[in-house]
Amino acid sequence: MAEASPRARLVVVLFLAFGIAAVQGLAVLPWVIGLALAVVLACGHWWLVLRRMRGPAALALGLVLVLPLIAGETVLAQLGPIALRLEGVQAAALIAGRLLAIVAITLALLAPLPPFQLVAGLRGLRVPALMTDLALLTLRYLDEVSADLRRAHLARQLRGGRSGWHALPDHARLLASSLIRAQARSERLWAAMRLRGYDTGLALPVAPLQVHDWVAITGAALLGCGVIWLDRVL
Amino acid sequence: MHLPDGIVPVEMALAGYACSAGLVALALHRIKTLPDPQAEIPRVAMLTTVFFAASLIAVPVPPASVHLMLAGLMGVMLGWFAIPAIMVGLFLQAMLFGHGGITALGLNGVIFGLPALGAFGIWRLIGGRWPDVGAFLAGSGAVLAALALFAGIVLAGLPAVIDAGAERIALQLLLIAHLPLALAEGVIVMTLLRVLRRVEPRLVPHG
Repeated sequence: MAEASPRARLVVVLFLAFGIAAVQGLAVLPWVIGLALAVVLACGHWWLVLRRMRGPAALALGLVLVLPLIAGETVLAQLGPIALRLEGVQAAALIAGRLLAIVAITLALLAPLPPFQLVAGLRGLRVPALMTDLALLTLRYLDEVSADLRRAHLARQLRGGRSGWHALPDHARLLASSLIRAQARSERLWAAMRLRGYDTGLALPVAPLQVHDWVAITGAALLGCGVIWLDRVL
Repeated sequence: MHLPDGIVPVEMALAGYACSAGLVALALHRIKTLPDPQAEIPRVAMLTTVFFAASLIAVPVPPASVHLMLAGLMGVMLGWFAIPAIMVGLFLQAMLFGHGGITALGLNGVIFGLPALGAFGIWRLIGGRWPDVGAFLAGSGAVLAALALFAGIVLAGLPAVIDAGAERIALQLLLIAHLPLALAEGVIVMTLLRVLRRVEPRLVPHG
């Protein structure tokens, strides 16, 4: 899997993610979690996956805490007015399991890729050139524009800017000045792109799929279908 | 307000992809009719970068702080380009920051894309005559429309075991929690477009 091209990785993620999203029963959930763990361990970079999973993990925790209290009829345990319900526990486990498994697989396969290769992979999947060019230029300038905006917000605070609702017009003016600078920069950028002979898109040329790419894609398709089949029979 | 993976059934996620693909195809078709669509790419990309960066910064809106959605502003400033720009932004947010998800990408495209187009329509309709009203409606209306779409999709996708009363309470809480954001975006879009109309009117088409 480590040698698979970005295009193949995107297809693999789609097959596995939609296979897992189709799971309806709890019986297949341990298999799904096992599959996600196997993909994460096989790809390496598990620390990167763990670091980026904090948000989805918090959401899953929220679901696990809330759904058992508001969903279902069968009471498992009761403490005063608060009742823990079986159907809610089942729904929470299913949704949280699917969420964490899909996010873990997506991050394990795609997060280690440089973003520019990811965009090249999208171009290889026939995503329109206009969209991949937008993605490339956005990625190219994101850090710079974010840093500029943060600096402007910090400067506003240091000047003793207003707070609360009264600060909204100030935020709007900061955003307006960023947009004006972006417009000026885009004109220079377009002139440079024309000088370089911009014609059919900026994305890197896409290499044809290799044998190991086809193996990975076929394996993912079989695994995705296998998860759905297991879900129906168990 | 991103829909995460695994919440809604797979049929809804696939339908979301189909709707988003339709929206993108329609937008690209309209973009191709422009005189020189390629020349617009750097401008759209730079503006998208600013929207993306601005949505990552928390703006204090009492009693908490919020991340701006800016779908309405994108619709007003980018027109049909807002749809591909939003899809690109959602894909990058899912990959770089874990917001949203790969299976929910289509539904999130609908949740943010339709309100952006609605804001574009409002601005074209009344932006020329009553710019402040048009800007406020485009900004806050887009948040409310996105919220309605998000709530509708989540409620339709959640398991049937959750009773209707709990769903109604959750919907009301969601609405109340996002009203300050809708107001804040309305004020920000109105002020911002007022500045741009005065300083750089080229950035505000149809105004």
